[in-house]
Amino acid sequence: MNMYGHELKSLRKSALIWTCSMIALASLFLAVYPGMASDAAGFKQLLSGYPEPVREMLGIDLDTVASLLGFYSMVFAFVTLCGAIQGMNLGVSILSKESRERTADFLLVKPVSRSSIVTAKLAAACTALVATDLVFFAAVSVVASAVAAGGYSGKTFLLINLTLLFIQLIFLALGLAVSVFFARLKNVLSISLGTVFGFYVLGALLASDAGDEAARYLSPFKYFDSFRIIRDAGYEWSYMLAGILIVAAGIAVSYGGYIRKDIHAG
Amino acid sequence: MNLFWREMKANRKSLTIWSACMFLLVAGGMGKYTAYSAGGTSSEVFEHMPFSLKALLGIGTLDVTTMSGFFALLFTYIELTAAAHAALLGSGILAKEERDKTAEFLMTKPISRSSVVTAKLAAALANVAVLNLVTLISSVVMVNAYNKGESVAAEIVLFLLSMFIVQLIFLSLGAFLSACLRNSKNSGPAAAGILLGSFAIAKITDLTDRLSILNALSPFKYFSIDRIAEGNGLGIGIALSALALTAVLAALTYRFYGRRELNL
Repeated sequence: MNMYGHELKSLRKSALIWTCSMIALASLFLAVYPGMASDAAGFKQLLSGYPEPVREMLGIDLDTVASLLGFYSMVFAFVTLCGAIQGMNLGVSILSKESRERTADFLLVKPVSRSSIVTAKLAAACTALVATDLVFFAAVSVVASAVAAGGYSGKTFLLINLTLLFIQLIFLALGLAVSVFFARLKNVLSISLGTVFGFYVLGALLASDAGDEAARYLSPFKYFDSFRIIRDAGYEWSYMLAGILIVAAGIAVSYGGYIRKDIHAG
Repeated sequence: MNLFWREMKANRKSLTIWSACMFLLVAGGMGKYTAYSAGGTSSEVFEHMPFSLKALLGIGTLDVTTMSGFFALLFTYIELTAAAHAALLGSGILAKEERDKTAEFLMTKPISRSSVVTAKLAAALANVAVLNLVTLISSVVMVNAYNKGESVAAEIVLFLLSMFIVQLIFLSLGAFLSACLRNSKNSGPAAAGILLGSFAIAKITDLTDRLSILNALSPFKYFSIDRIAEGNGLGIGIALSALALTAVLAALTYRFYGRRELNL
């Protein structure tokens, strides 16, 4: 419990900075929305002069994209990018920082097992992520209600925002698993940025063929498609299962790896 | 000179990894070109569509069915990767002495602090230039392999030149942060934060033309991708001011590092 409290205290500042920047990012985007909605309304007016097939083709797309939730899905892509970096960074650093800051011998001579160290740190990291997401969700709901002209489905909004936590947990587990394989990890940020950007770009490139369902398993950013969530008001369970498997495997590897690891002291 | 080669050697492995990733990014991205070029239908309806809606539907102002337009689309990601490399390298190269507790060892050597900065910045510059060259060569080769129309090598060279200047900005920004922040451990996260912020701003200003003023805050927007894709060059004024920004940041790095209280 002491370890948990200590970790939470040391994570407080960074979690606060991440939360604030994610809220600022989402609010800045959402502030653009009212102008966009009026543009869309004007364009729909213009469309009424076009033949039926053209209207059909564009109209449906427009209604989804120019709605608040459709617009928010795009904003949300950047928020998940930030959130993923936060999660990965947390995962890579939380176990490895003891050897980096030369406090590993101090921690390991305490009468606690290595697995309880991992448990306490994992719990603290999860708490930090959940707290970040809760505050973010509360703030963004307020902003969204302020800019939305018509109503929007609160349940769908929650479902979309919940995927932030899932993606963060996937990257947290990934980061933890990666960090136990390095004897001494010096540069946390380049590993986490590299991995997250790698998956992000992979996901962006995959997005170009919409039909390729198998390829979506390659990038966690593609597991939760906001437009499908809006359409179905639910998740795609096969991708959800893939996410759960990654998290479980990552955590198992980090326990196994950390317990056996030769930790450099001093 | 010893210090320069020492740094080159220390960064060799990471440079190899970054270069390999860059090559994969370019190769993987160009592999998608066939998918884009096949589905080219532009109707007159799109011409009447408001700017913001086009951006929202992912059409943008670029014509992705042409080779230079498609490369411009891919270039956004290439530039982000290269800028991340430069920012992390710039902030790490000075800060790592304090992080690894080798600052004491380095500072007892009979060389001035400014020559330490010179050697380190020169090594970082060489690394950034190598990554840029790797990107240039892989882009030209990969684009040639897929291109059926006229050659766009000249545009690619201009794209990569603009990327080099953006790399320089982030490199000097990282170095400046590591020299001026009291705890240099924070310089990496700070540089990465500025990088992400600039990327987000670039994406927001893509979406609406009402916030163009914010572009001044984002180096990714200093050079207009549309303009280069259409073959109109870089814009000499903006290139010079970007270089001046780099020079100012580098000068401040010397100044702050010269008087820095090192954490030993």
